[in-house]
Amino acid sequence: MAEIIRVENVKKIYRMGDNEVRALDGVSLVVEEGEFLIVMGPSGSGKTTLLHLMGCLDKPTEGEIYIASTPVSKLNDPQLAKIRNKMVGFVFQQFNLLPRLTALENVELPMIYAGVPKAARRRKAKELLELVGLGDRLHHRPTQLSGGQMQRVAIARALANDPVVLLADEPTGNLDSKSGEEILKIFSGLNKRGQTIVIVTHDPEVARHGDRIVRMRDGKILSEEVNVHA
Amino acid sequence: MLDMLKEAFRSIAHNKLRTALSMIGIIIGVAAVIGVVSVAEGTSRSIRQSLTSIGSNLILVSPGFTRGGGGRTATALTEVLEKEDADRIAQLCPSVRYVTPIQQGNFIVQHERQNSMATVMAARPVLFDMINVKLFQGEFFNESDERAKRRVAVIGKEVADELFPNGDALGQTIRITSGSIRQTYMVIGVLEKSGNLLFLNPDRSIVVPFASAENRLFRRKNVSMIVAQAISENMANQAVSEIDSVLFDKFQNEEKYRIVSQDALLETVNQTMAVLSFMLGSIAGISLLVGGIGIMNIMLVTVTERTREIGVRKAIGASRRHILLQFLLESIVLTFVAGLLGIAAGFGLSKLIAKIGSVQTAVTPTVVLVAVSVSIMVGLFFGVWPAMRASKLDPVEALRYE
Repeated sequence: MAEIIRVENVKKIYRMGDNEVRALDGVSLVVEEGEFLIVMGPSGSGKTTLLHLMGCLDKPTEGEIYIASTPVSKLNDPQLAKIRNKMVGFVFQQFNLLPRLTALENVELPMIYAGVPKAARRRKAKELLELVGLGDRLHHRPTQLSGGQMQRVAIARALANDPVVLLADEPTGNLDSKSGEEILKIFSGLNKRGQTIVIVTHDPEVARHGDRIVRMRDGKILSEEVNVHA
Repeated sequence: MLDMLKEAFRSIAHNKLRTALSMIGIIIGVAAVIGVVSVAEGTSRSIRQSLTSIGSNLILVSPGFTRGGGGRTATALTEVLEKEDADRIAQLCPSVRYVTPIQQGNFIVQHERQNSMATVMAARPVLFDMINVKLFQGEFFNESDERAKRRVAVIGKEVADELFPNGDALGQTIRITSGSIRQTYMVIGVLEKSGNLLFLNPDRSIVVPFASAENRLFRRKNVSMIVAQAISENMANQAVSEIDSVLFDKFQNEEKYRIVSQDALLETVNQTMAVLSFMLGSIAGISLLVGGIGIMNIMLVTVTERTREIGVRKAIGASRRHILLQFLLESIVLTFVAGLLGIAAGFGLSKLIAKIGSVQTAVTPTVVLVAVSVSIMVGLFFGVWPAMRASKLDPVEALRYE
C-alpha cells in the first residue's frame, strides 16, 4: 500500500516563558493508503498537535513530514494552503461551521478556495450532503441543525475536494452517544469505500472502529496495535 | 473574486447597525467635501458669469493712483487720461478692434415731475458693439449722432421705470442736472434689464454720445476711463502690451495709468477659486480621514471577533492572500457604499445650501470622482492593517480561540 503521510522523528516544542513544553518529542508514523488509523491518548499527550502537523496547520520544530511524498517543511504559505485545501480534510470536535452560511455554502467553501466553478461546486456539495444523509437540510444554517447534523455537514465539507486523507479531532466529543455512533458509521462507510481516515481520540469506543491504533503519552508513541475487530 | 465580493456584501449586511454607524463618518465626509466644493464652484461660476456677461476680451484703462506712505494717503489720479489717448490707441494698436473714452458721473435726472439719480455715461457709439446690452425698445445712438453732437440718450430700464411710470419713454425729453450744470436729452432707446456688469450697472445708467456731453455735462478735459476690445481672445495679451506702450510713450511713468484685461481678471478668479476649492475641500476631507479611522476600528473588532472563522477558513484551504483579500474587500465595499451614499447626501446638501443660502452651487463630476476615489482609498488604507492582522493569524491558535 502507498504511503499517504510519513511523519519522521518529529518534535514540536513550545516555549512558555522559561519552560519548554515538548508537545511532541520524536514521533515517527506512517499513514497508509486506505487505512483507518486511530491515535489515542489522554489530553496533553500531543495527539492533537500531531494531527495539526499532519494537516499542515502547523510546522514541526524538528523532523520532517511528507504528504504524498512531498516534504512540507520547505513549503510556503500558498503551497501549504493548497495542501490543506486539496490533500487533507479536517473534521473538528467543535464542528467549526461558519454560522452565517447555509449547509450547502459551508460545503462549497473549500471548493471556492480551490477555484471550482459555481455550478460544479453546487452539484458536488449537494451530492456530498446527500451522502451524509442531509439532502433535506441543504439550506439550513448551522444554528438550525443538531450537533450530529452539524458534524455531518463538517464531514461533507472535509470531503469537498476529494482529499487523500480525512483528519478528525475527537469528532464525537461534543455529541451524545447515539449521534456519535452515527458519525462513526459514516466514517466507517467512507473508509470501506477507500477513504483514508485518521481519528484522534481518548475514547476507547471510538477506537473500536479503527484498523490500527497508535497510543500516545507525553509527546511520544507508546504502542501500536492492529485492531482485530473486523 | 465575485464570490468574495458577494461574501463581503453579506458580511457587511450581517451587522446592520454597526455597519451603518461606521459608514456615517465616510458619508458625512464625502457629503461635506461635495457640499463645500459645490459652493466654491458655484461662486466661481457666478463670478465668471458676471465677468463675461458684459462682453468678451475687454480691456479697461483707468487712471493710476499715487502711493501712500510717509504721511501721505494714496489718492487716485484723475487728470491723466484724455480722449486723445483713446484716439491714439485706435490708430496705433493693431490688436485692438474698438476703443472708446468714457466719461462717467452721477446726476439728477428729471422728467416733468418725476426725478431720480442715475449714472450718466458718455461714450462713443462703438460701446454698443463692445458690450452685451440689448434694447428693450427704441434704438442705440450712432456715429452721425456722435458727430452732430445730438442730445439723444439710451436709458436703463430702472431709470425708465422711475421717470416714466406710465409707460412709453421713447421720444420724451429728460433733464440731466448737477448743480448749475443742466442739459436736456431725448430718449431714443431703453435698455433691457441686465443686472450688474463688470464696470457698469446698465439698469441705472443713461448712455449719451461722448461728443454731446463732454463739454456740457462734464466740463473737463480728462476722461474717467478708456475701454478697448481686443480682436480676439488670443490677441488680448498683445492688445494690452500695445496699449501699454502707447500710454507709456506719453506718460513715461507706468504708475499713472492702470490696464486691466478681462482675461487677466478671469485668470485670477479661476486661480483664486481653484485654491479656495482645494483648501475648503481639504478641510472637509479631514472628516473623511476621521471616518477612515472609524472604519479601521470596526475592522479590527471584526477581525478579533472572527478569529475562529479565520482559523477555520485557513484549515480548509484559505491562504493568507485569501484572508487578506476578504477583509480588505470588506472595508473597501464598506467605504465604497458609504461613498455612494455620501454623494447622494452631498447632492442634497448642495441643493439645500443653494436654496437657503441663496448662493449658486455646482457639483462637478470631478469632485464626485475625487470624493469616491478618496473614500475607496480610505477603505484600502485603513483596511490594510486589520486585514494583515487577520491574514497573519496562526491557524492553530485561531482555531482554539473562543
